[in-house]
Amino acid sequence: MKELRKKTIEKEKEKGKKIAAVFPIHYPRELLRAFGYHPVEVWGPPGFEREKALKYFQSYTCDIVMRGFSFILTRKEVDLILVPHTCDALQGMASVMRDFLNPYVPVLTLYHPRGRKKEDVEFLEMEIKRSFEKLCEITGKKPGEENLKKAIFEEEKADSVFRELYEKKENIDLTDREFYQLLRTREFLPPKDFISLAESIPDKKMERRGKRIIISGILPEPMKIFDIINEKGGIVVDDDLACCGRRTYETGKSENPFRRMAERILSAPPDPTLGSSTESRIDYILKKIEKSKADGILIYNPKFCEPELFDFPFIKKELSDRGIKVQYLEVEISEEIPHQTIQRIETFLEVL
Amino acid sequence: MNPSALFRYTFGFKIFGRSMLKIQKFSDAHKMARFKPRPDDPLNPPLKSGVLLKEIMAKHYLEGRFVEGVKKVAWVTSGAPVEPLRALGYFVVYPENHAALCGARKVAVQISEEAEKEGFSVDLCSYARTDIGSALSGKTPVGKIPKPDLLVACTNICQTVLYWFKTLSFYFKVPLVIIDTPFIFDDMEEHQIQYVKKQIEEMIITAERVAKKTLPFKKMRKVISDSKEAAELWLEIIYRGKFKPSPITAFDTFVHMAPIVGLRGEEIATIYYRKLLKEIDERIKNGIGAIKNERKRILWDNLPVWFRLNWLSRYLATKGANIVTSTYTLQWGELAPMIDIERPLESAAKIYLYPLLNRSARYKLATMKKMVKEFQIDGVLLHSDKSCKPYSLGQIDERNLLAQEGIPAVLIDADHNDSRVYSEEQVRNRLDAFLEIL
Ligand code: SF4
Ligand code: SF4
Repeated sequence: MKELRKKTIEKEKEKGKKIAAVFPIHYPRELLRAFGYHPVEVWGPPGFEREKALKYFQSYTCDIVMRGFSFILTRKEVDLILVPHTCDALQGMASVMRDFLNPYVPVLTLYHPRGRKKEDVEFLEMEIKRSFEKLCEITGKKPGEENLKKAIFEEEKADSVFRELYEKKENIDLTDREFYQLLRTREFLPPKDFISLAESIPDKKMERRGKRIIISGILPEPMKIFDIINEKGGIVVDDDLACCGRRTYETGKSENPFRRMAERILSAPPDPTLGSSTESRIDYILKKIEKSKADGILIYNPKFCEPELFDFPFIKKELSDRGIKVQYLEVEISEEIPHQTIQRIETFLEVL
Repeated sequence: MNPSALFRYTFGFKIFGRSMLKIQKFSDAHKMARFKPRPDDPLNPPLKSGVLLKEIMAKHYLEGRFVEGVKKVAWVTSGAPVEPLRALGYFVVYPENHAALCGARKVAVQISEEAEKEGFSVDLCSYARTDIGSALSGKTPVGKIPKPDLLVACTNICQTVLYWFKTLSFYFKVPLVIIDTPFIFDDMEEHQIQYVKKQIEEMIITAERVAKKTLPFKKMRKVISDSKEAAELWLEIIYRGKFKPSPITAFDTFVHMAPIVGLRGEEIATIYYRKLLKEIDERIKNGIGAIKNERKRILWDNLPVWFRLNWLSRYLATKGANIVTSTYTLQWGELAPMIDIERPLESAAKIYLYPLLNRSARYKLATMKKMVKEFQIDGVLLHSDKSCKPYSLGQIDERNLLAQEGIPAVLIDADHNDSRVYSEEQVRNRLDAFLEIL
């Protein structure tokens, strides 16, 4: 995946595209594309050291911020940085970047609301318009409505392919790791390339045996986690991951491109960083469990992630009361998985 | 209204409780009058208004013990627009205020453990853990906290309060109103103001529905006017720290801020701050400082370390250092001039968007530099608070940039409520080294 990501960046640069490093979680990819940027997402790349960021942030900051910041300090090949207002940690990071670090490129922020009512959509529409104006200033370009719509339709198509992948997960010949690698290419592939890649996977009814689990949390890093789950007798049948399942956006309705981008973001499944209630998260997870006939759920989170940590106790209680097993694992986004984590996964799968 | 609840309220709070408080106040005032400071005490005698403060806050918590079934109860965050709720007759509980009280009484860890037992991580804000622990177990040093009928969380201090109040809403099964205040990286923009205004309007609709009442606008004007006067008085009190020697320490303001946070909009808060200001002005007139030998003046950044407030204040005073002001306490006064009684919702939207914690690190640094000048500060003490990420992230650069401008600054690691992550030895060493370079 690393190689493909590197190659994609090189290829897009050759095509004259500028690279936008984008922090998690929700943002309008189409907006960046309409300005000729190629968005590449920065989810705390495991290869970047936390220590570098310790000169800027206290040790009680999550890995996504620490390693992502370390990435920005190390790599100078990006042309724009976008930090959506996902949580307090990313807010602090964005502020330090803009105010004190003075990075080599502009830092754009986007505030998304914590509700899904009409006024929330209207507000997000205005925020996206504001970002549009900022991008006009930065690039000297002003994409017209047609350009915006073209970019939106391409992303909508890619998003529908992304959603379909979930529907046919049991009918494609991919291991869990391969499947999630494929989904996560959405973090750096242009929509057309993602669609071609996804459509190149042949349908084939698979006989997969094992304890059926759902994985929830922010992101499954390192991706080896899937191999471990498979080795220990488990199969991942669905997810509630911020980088994957929580970004299955719907096709927008409005003819106004800004409104449509806002509608799409706010069509995402329940997500604590979008202010979703604990009830809605529990209902959503329960539906997933029912549909996928999962036996349990593995919650896999980076340390210090408040949005996830607050919801966990009541999610666990409600699921446990219904006889569903829940395992919580707090992890560091490193290239290796500690032995203790492997043991806990093994024990969890044994009791299912 | 429930008749037996009303009887309990009338007897327990209005008749018996209030009389007990009067007796307590008399005894406290008597003790205060007979107070003989030790000659070696580095601090001058405490502010006499403390007796009234204790009575006001005790009365508030006492009412809370009997109020269920008599008044609607709203739990709100410290930065929430409380004025419409007061006008609607809600009894307002500030979980942050209660958590701070638990911290100061040194029971926060024990109560937090109740939440931790249920799976709430030790990495969560210790106010939230204290409050959730209290809600789950009923443990509180004030006897009882009434259950909420309505929850209001405003994100202008952090996103944490949103997750925290969502948790409470799930637990108590009561409506939660979220007032989402976009973070201001530069200046606020019209669409942000309109967004917050709409949410305040929605809050009023929900609050009216829960209270089964219509908002009395005349009463709301009075509440806003009281809020404004209390905030203005509070700002004056903070500014008195500019005098040399300073008649107050930031530790005094940490304690005396309880009404501006928890009783904002109630007449008693205004009455109290008038009295406090008068006492402080008398101190200034008589040349009395809060500490006996003020040689160095310090600015504090971030929340206090509630469980070591007294120790810190005495330790610094023995070294001739006075923490004369803080960025934390300033927040409840600095926006007072923006309150516009004629345009209540519009001005509320702006005010609630603009507190220090909802603004960029650059703005916070500029505020600190301004305070250094105005309060004739010799050095800045930044409390790196493990629990409060929005306040703490950015402090490393802030410290470095202050130092670059010749303003000595130090970072001390602690937590506002969780004494388990606090090392006194480390803090003492840091403070000693810092005071040496001042
Ligand atoms: S891991 Fe959690 S705390 Fe960190 S950036 Fe992501 S959402 Fe924020
Ligand atoms: S202490 Fe900080 S994180 Fe906790 S509620 Fe207050 S502002 Fe939010």
